[in-house]
Amino acid sequence: MEEIRAAGITKQFGDVTALNNVSLEIAPGELFFLLGGSGCGKTTLLRCIAGLEAPTKGKIFFGERDVTALPTHKREAAMVFQSYALWPHMTVGQNIAFGLEERKVDKKDIQCRVEEALAMVKLEGFAKRGLDQMSGGQQQRVSLARALVVRPKCLLLDEPLSNLDAQLRLEMRSEIRRIVKENDLTGVYVTHDQAEALSMADRMAVMDQGVVVQVGPPEEIYRQPVSSYVAGFIGETNLLKGTANENNLVNTATATLTATPSVTDWDPAPGVEVILSIRPEAVKIVNSTQADLSGKIIERIYLGSIIQYTVELGDGSVMQVTEQNPKIIRSPGEELVGLQFSGQDVTLLAR
Amino acid sequence: MNKRAAYSLTACVTIFFAVFFLYPAVIVLKEAFYSSEDGFTLSFVGEVFKNPVYTEGLWNAFALGISSTLASLLIAFPLALVGHRYLFPFKKSLSALVLIPLVLPPFVGAVGVKQILGIQGALNAFLVKLGLMDPTLPMDWLGDGRFWGVVIMNALHLYPILYMNIAASLSNIDPAMEQAAQNLGCPPWRRLMRITLPLTTPGIFAGGAIVFIWSFTELGVPLVFDFTRVAPVQVYDGIKDLGDNPFPYALVAIMLVVSTLVFIISKAVLGRSKLGTAPRPKGKNVEVRPKRGRAWLCTLFFFLVFFVASLPHAGVVVLSLAHDWYSTVLPEVWTTEHYREALGHPLVVPSIQNSLFYASAATLVDLILGVAIAWVIVRSTIRGRAFLDALVMLPLAVPGLVLAFGYLALSQKGETFYFLVQGATQNPTWLLVVAYAVRRLPYVVRSAVAGLQQSNLALEEAARSLGATPARTLRRVSLPLLGANLIAGGILAFAFAMLEVSDSLILAQQSEHFPITKAIYSLLGMLGNGYELASALGVWAMVFLGISIIGAVVLGGKKGGLFRM
Repeated sequence: MEEIRAAGITKQFGDVTALNNVSLEIAPGELFFLLGGSGCGKTTLLRCIAGLEAPTKGKIFFGERDVTALPTHKREAAMVFQSYALWPHMTVGQNIAFGLEERKVDKKDIQCRVEEALAMVKLEGFAKRGLDQMSGGQQQRVSLARALVVRPKCLLLDEPLSNLDAQLRLEMRSEIRRIVKENDLTGVYVTHDQAEALSMADRMAVMDQGVVVQVGPPEEIYRQPVSSYVAGFIGETNLLKGTANENNLVNTATATLTATPSVTDWDPAPGVEVILSIRPEAVKIVNSTQADLSGKIIERIYLGSIIQYTVELGDGSVMQVTEQNPKIIRSPGEELVGLQFSGQDVTLLAR
Repeated sequence: MNKRAAYSLTACVTIFFAVFFLYPAVIVLKEAFYSSEDGFTLSFVGEVFKNPVYTEGLWNAFALGISSTLASLLIAFPLALVGHRYLFPFKKSLSALVLIPLVLPPFVGAVGVKQILGIQGALNAFLVKLGLMDPTLPMDWLGDGRFWGVVIMNALHLYPILYMNIAASLSNIDPAMEQAAQNLGCPPWRRLMRITLPLTTPGIFAGGAIVFIWSFTELGVPLVFDFTRVAPVQVYDGIKDLGDNPFPYALVAIMLVVSTLVFIISKAVLGRSKLGTAPRPKGKNVEVRPKRGRAWLCTLFFFLVFFVASLPHAGVVVLSLAHDWYSTVLPEVWTTEHYREALGHPLVVPSIQNSLFYASAATLVDLILGVAIAWVIVRSTIRGRAFLDALVMLPLAVPGLVLAFGYLALSQKGETFYFLVQGATQNPTWLLVVAYAVRRLPYVVRSAVAGLQQSNLALEEAARSLGATPARTLRRVSLPLLGANLIAGGILAFAFAMLEVSDSLILAQQSEHFPITKAIYSLLGMLGNGYELASALGVWAMVFLGISIIGAVVLGGKKGGLFRM
C-alpha cells in the first residue's frame, strides 16, 4: 500500500502532446480509475507511472520516493496488460513464476507462491496447463496472478477487461476489486468504460486531450460534473443552452429554470451564456403542461424495467427522459406533455 | 459450381505434382533401393555408408549445412532485431538492400571469394602491403578443402531468408510481452534470451530449415571451389557413368531423407508453438529512435552487412574488368576487353537467350498454376485445401538435386519423360521449364495467397452479383487487385529460375541448350581467360537480377510471406 503522486507530468511524442501538465494524488489502498475517450492520454499516464514511458517533464512519487528515473521493476508496481501479454512458450505456472525467478527467489518458495497466487485468482491446480487450454477469462486471471505473485505495492491495470465478453466482464469487476482490497494494493485502472469506472472506483479522474478534467468519487463525478464533456462522458445527459439570470435562474429558449452550479463558489453574472445538464432519469413526464418544460413525445423505446422517451421541446430541441418501472406507457403524438424536475438535478455548467 | 471448379483445379494440380514432382522423387528412391536381381535392397545405401569417400562426402555436406545455417543466423538475427527495434537513417533503402544478396548468383560470387580470400588473393596482398604479413608465408583463409569458403558464400547468400522469417516473427510479437518481462524485473539481455528469442523460434525454424536444405544440397558453390569431397559434387560426378552405377541414386536418396526429416522437424516445431492463442496484440510495435550516434551505428551495421555480402560479387565485377588480377589488392591494368570477348564467345549469347526463354516460360506456368492454387486455398471451402497448401510447399523441402536426378533418369530412352526431350535430339527445353516451374511454384503461390487474403471477398461478390461470370470476375476484379503480389512473386520465381544450378548443370547436356549458369560453369573450366569471361557473363546476369529484385521489393510490400513454409 503506497501513495502515488504525479506532479506536473507532460509527455510529448514528437509534436504530439499526450499529457499536458498532469498532477494527481492517489491515496494508499485506493482503487483509482483513469477514464476517458481514446487518445485522451490515460494509457500514457499509466505507462509513465509504471515506468514503461519516461515523462518529458514532471515527477512521479511513490510515497516519499521519487521514482521518475527508477526502472519499472524497481517501482514495486506490477502491470496487467490489455492483451494479457502472457508468454505462449511457457505454461501457466512458468508465466507466474517468471517474476520470482528474476527476483532470485528460492526454488521451493517459488512453487508455494505460485500456488498461492493461483488460489488468489481461483485457478488452483492450473499451473501445468498450457495457455492454449485456458479460456479468455482464465488467461485474464493468470495475468493477474503473474502480477500479484511478486507482491507489489501497486497494481496497474490497462483496460484489463476489454477482451472479455459482457458476462465475464461483470464477473471480473468484483473479482479485481476484491483482489486489490484483499492484498492492500494501491490500484490504478485505465478504462474507457464508464460503467466499469462507476461500479468499481473509489475515486476516478476523467481525462480529455491530455488533461485531467475532474477528479472525485463516482457519485460526485456523476452528480456534479464540472463540464459538459464530463457530463456527457459519464452517463447520459441532456444539455440545454441558456443565459444566466439572477439567483441561479437560467433562461433557456422555452422557459426559465432553477439550476445548481457545478462548482460551489461559482455564481455566473446575469447575461453570461451557460449550459444546463439534466439527467434523463431526473425528469418526470406529467400530464399537466404547467411543468418546468413542455413538449411532445416523438419516440418511445420500451426496455422492460425502464422506458425511454424522446421529447421535442417548443424550440425544436429534444430531451431524453427515462422512467423506471413504468406504469403508464405513453405513445408518441401531437399532444403536449409536461416535464418536471427538481432544481437540484439541473447542473449549471460554464459554456 | 464453385466447389466443382475447386475440386477439378485441385485434381489437376495434384496430378501435375504427382507426375512432375513425386514421380521423379520416387524414381530416385526406386533406383536407390531396388535392384533387378533382389528387388528391394538396402545394399546400395549400405555400400554408400561403407565407402569412406561417400561417408566423408555426406558428412561434409551435413557439416556445410549446419555451419552455413548457423553463420546465416548469426548475421540475420541481429539484423532483424535492430531493424525491428530502431529507427535510423536510410532504414528503408538499407532494409531493401540487405535482401539483394539472395538473388546474386552464389556460384558466381564464389569466384569472387576465391579472388579475395585465396592464397594469392586481394586480402593477403592487402595485409602484405600493410606489412602485417610475410609475403613468403601467406595465410590460407578458406581452409583446407575450401570448406569455409563454401560456408562463407552460403551464409552471405542465404541469410536474407532467415532475416525475412525472423523479421516476420518479430513483428508478430505483442510488444507488451517484453514490457511485462521488463516490469517483472527481467534485464534486457535476459529478456532477449527468455522472451524474444523463444517467441522468434517459428521464424528461425522456418527460415533455418530452408537455409539448411539449400546449403546441404548446394552444388554450384562447392564445384567452383573445387571442393569435391562433398555429396552433391560426388553425385554430379557420378552422372557420367549413370547407366550401371546405383550409388549416385543412393546418395541422392539419403540426401532426400535427411532434407525431409529436417523439414518435418521444423514443421513439428512450428506446429507446437502456440502463438496463435493469445489475443491479437493491440499495441503496435513502436520503433525507438536512438540517440544520433547510436542511430548511425545501426545504419553502419546494416550497411556493413550489405557491403560484406556483396563483396564476393564486387570481386567478380573487378575481375571482369581486370586485365590480370593476381597477388595485388586491385588489378593494375583495367580493361573492358572481356565483355566484348564474352559476347563473341559461342556459348554466351545463346545461353542468355536460352535462360530467358526457360525462365519466362517457367514463370508463366507458375503464375497460372499459382493463381489457381491460391484461389482454391483462400476462396474455396473444399476439404482438400490444407492438403493442397502443404503439397505445393513441398518443393521447398526437396533438394533441386533430387528432382534433377529424377528427371535425368526419366528422360533416358524408353522412359516416361523421353517425349519431353523430343526423342533423340535430347533437347532439354521443356524438361528444364517444368523443373524450374515446379521448384519455384511455392513463391508464387505464397504471394498470390497473401494477395487474395488481403483483398476483400465482397469485392468479387459484388462483381458476381452484378452479373459477371466467374472468369470475367477473375479477369476484371481479382487479377487487377492481385497484380502487385503476382508481379513480386513472379519476379522472384523468374530470378531464381535464371540462377538455377542443379537442374541446369545436370539436365542441359549439349552446349547449344546451355542456360547462363551452365555456360558460366563451362567458361570457368576453360584455360586462359575463362575466369574473366565467366565473370563478365556473371556481371550481365547480376545486373539483370538486381533490377528484378528491386522491382520485386518495391512491388512486394510484405516481404516476410514469400519464404514461409
